[in-house]
Amino acid sequence: MKLLLIEDEQELANSIQTYLKGNSFVCEVVINTRSAIDKISTYDYDCILLDLMLPDGNGFEILKELKRQSKTEGVIIISAKETLETRLEGLQMGADDYLTKPFHLSELLVRIQALIRRKNFKGNNVVSYKEIEIDTLSKTIKVKGRKIDITKKEIDLLLFLIGNENRVLPKSAIAEHLSGDMADMLDNHYFVYAHIKNLKNKLKDAGCSDYIKTVYGLGYKWQND
Amino acid sequence: MTKKLLNKTSTVYLLFSVMLLVVSAPLFYYITNRLYIEETDETLILHKNEFLKYSLPTLTTSEIQNWNKYNRNIKIEPFNNSGNDTIFYKSYYDTLDAEIEPYRELNSSILIEGNPYTYSARVNLVEKEDLMKSIAILFLFIISLFLVGLFVITKRLSVNLWKPFYETLNQIEKFEIDKSNQPNFIETNIEEFNRLNKSIEKLIKKNTLIYHSQREFVENAAHELQTPLAVFQAKIDTLIQNADFTQEQYKMLSSLNDSVSRLNRLNKNLLLLSKMENDIYNEKQTINLNKAIEKHFDFFTEQAKAKYLIIKTDMKEAVTVKSNPVLAEILISNLFLNAIRHNVSGGKVLVTLSNHSLTFSNTGQLQLLGADKLFNRFSKSNPSEQGNGLGLAIIKKIAELNKWKISYSFTNNLHSFSLAF
Repeated sequence: MKLLLIEDEQELANSIQTYLKGNSFVCEVVINTRSAIDKISTYDYDCILLDLMLPDGNGFEILKELKRQSKTEGVIIISAKETLETRLEGLQMGADDYLTKPFHLSELLVRIQALIRRKNFKGNNVVSYKEIEIDTLSKTIKVKGRKIDITKKEIDLLLFLIGNENRVLPKSAIAEHLSGDMADMLDNHYFVYAHIKNLKNKLKDAGCSDYIKTVYGLGYKWQND
Repeated sequence: MTKKLLNKTSTVYLLFSVMLLVVSAPLFYYITNRLYIEETDETLILHKNEFLKYSLPTLTTSEIQNWNKYNRNIKIEPFNNSGNDTIFYKSYYDTLDAEIEPYRELNSSILIEGNPYTYSARVNLVEKEDLMKSIAILFLFIISLFLVGLFVITKRLSVNLWKPFYETLNQIEKFEIDKSNQPNFIETNIEEFNRLNKSIEKLIKKNTLIYHSQREFVENAAHELQTPLAVFQAKIDTLIQNADFTQEQYKMLSSLNDSVSRLNRLNKNLLLLSKMENDIYNEKQTINLNKAIEKHFDFFTEQAKAKYLIIKTDMKEAVTVKSNPVLAEILISNLFLNAIRHNVSGGKVLVTLSNHSLTFSNTGQLQLLGADKLFNRFSKSNPSEQGNGLGLAIIKKIAELNKWKISYSFTNNLHSFSLAF
């Protein structure tokens, strides 16, 4: 999978690049509008990560350029600016998702995965991991071919965990992912713990291996060992 | 006790008028009376001198009886040793009116054909009383008219005179620093009021400028913090992927991670507050509060589990309000969060929704919270608590934007936050 990251904050770009590398993503980084337009005119990408505030202009110009060239790349805006207007404007101009800085890299990763799923596999929305099959559209799970009873939130959590396979997920990242805009969490340790425990039990009852590992003091990790 | 400015001047005028009347009436009476008596006395002396000059030289003792017969007011009486001219009051019985009437009388010694007699002339003072009465009435009438006129004129004049002042006052009363309605003072032809208006205008301009730059500062600061926070967060996310940490290091990472999460939330809330102040959320829609509450009910019930709280709702059907939908959602979640966060283990949360109010009540510490600072930014009843001290400030701001009234009370060991709309 090829990604283009348009981000002028070098340190952030590095971290994103490093984090995504493990998931068979090739991530190219450009730091301004001009080189971004050069890149998109020359290559095709699976996904574009776009910062709106760039040294030589506005990220919206890139969205316009994509439209002009009739490119169908999925675009996720990553911006420190968060107003309803910019969000709406971005989405209207062809962006597919909007992520406000600061964000967890794990969140960015699952958003990219979800976007690519939507773009590339029209009609096929199944995420598989060994004996687990998740239909992201109908929100159902099959373990070893048998459907199990699970809540939407638990599917969301499962997708988040599988999407970030082999990565340590801090509880705060899980909590933020599950509660969306309700970021001002109360006791997210308990909240996350309860959800993880439920999911673990359901998977175990269905005869699934235990992939959810606890990382001491920090959070959880989806790992096959 | 405060009074209106105009009433104050009017009261002073009124008091002065009454005092003037009270003091001047007897004084006036005394002076007029004195003048009248002086005039009477002069008349008496004049009559006497005329008598001495024209009547006395030819008068004989035998004519005295006749004189007395035809003169009612100048009589010649047997000598009673009255000495020099004496003028005095004396009352006589008047047969015509059948009453005793006051007179002013002059007695003087005269010689008729070498014999001493007493010359006695008198003037009836009844006329004086009538005159005095008429004068007094006239005087009272004129002075009353004068005072009433003065009163009315000053009142009218004051109203006109103070009009610009009251206009200025109205403008200042309407002025709110966080709204864009700058007062517009009307130029007057009174120097002092112009000065007042100019000074207030200057003051307001300066304060508005300071307020705006402060607001801008908060907004810019929060915005500028987003990027370094993003880097911070990303670095921690990358760092924790490293597999060979010791438990100590994991603990440190964990607290670093919690801190950056807190920073993120704090910054988000600050941004939200400054956005609200910049009227970004001014678009209003009709919101069904029941739905808005129910939408997040499961989420908060889940949140409440950690503290074994019971959430109860008492809602009337279909309560709608006008609000920005984003803000309404933030308001409700903040009220929920507040009620859960400051609760005690095993406590309860009561949500009451009626046509004109929404109340969140919760158990918590068993004492009234300092209500005056409660809604201020970063005011925390317990500094070690998890919250960032902006929740209630946000609730208050949203209430203000929707022109709702927020109040806090502590009854039956329940802390209640009530919104009246």
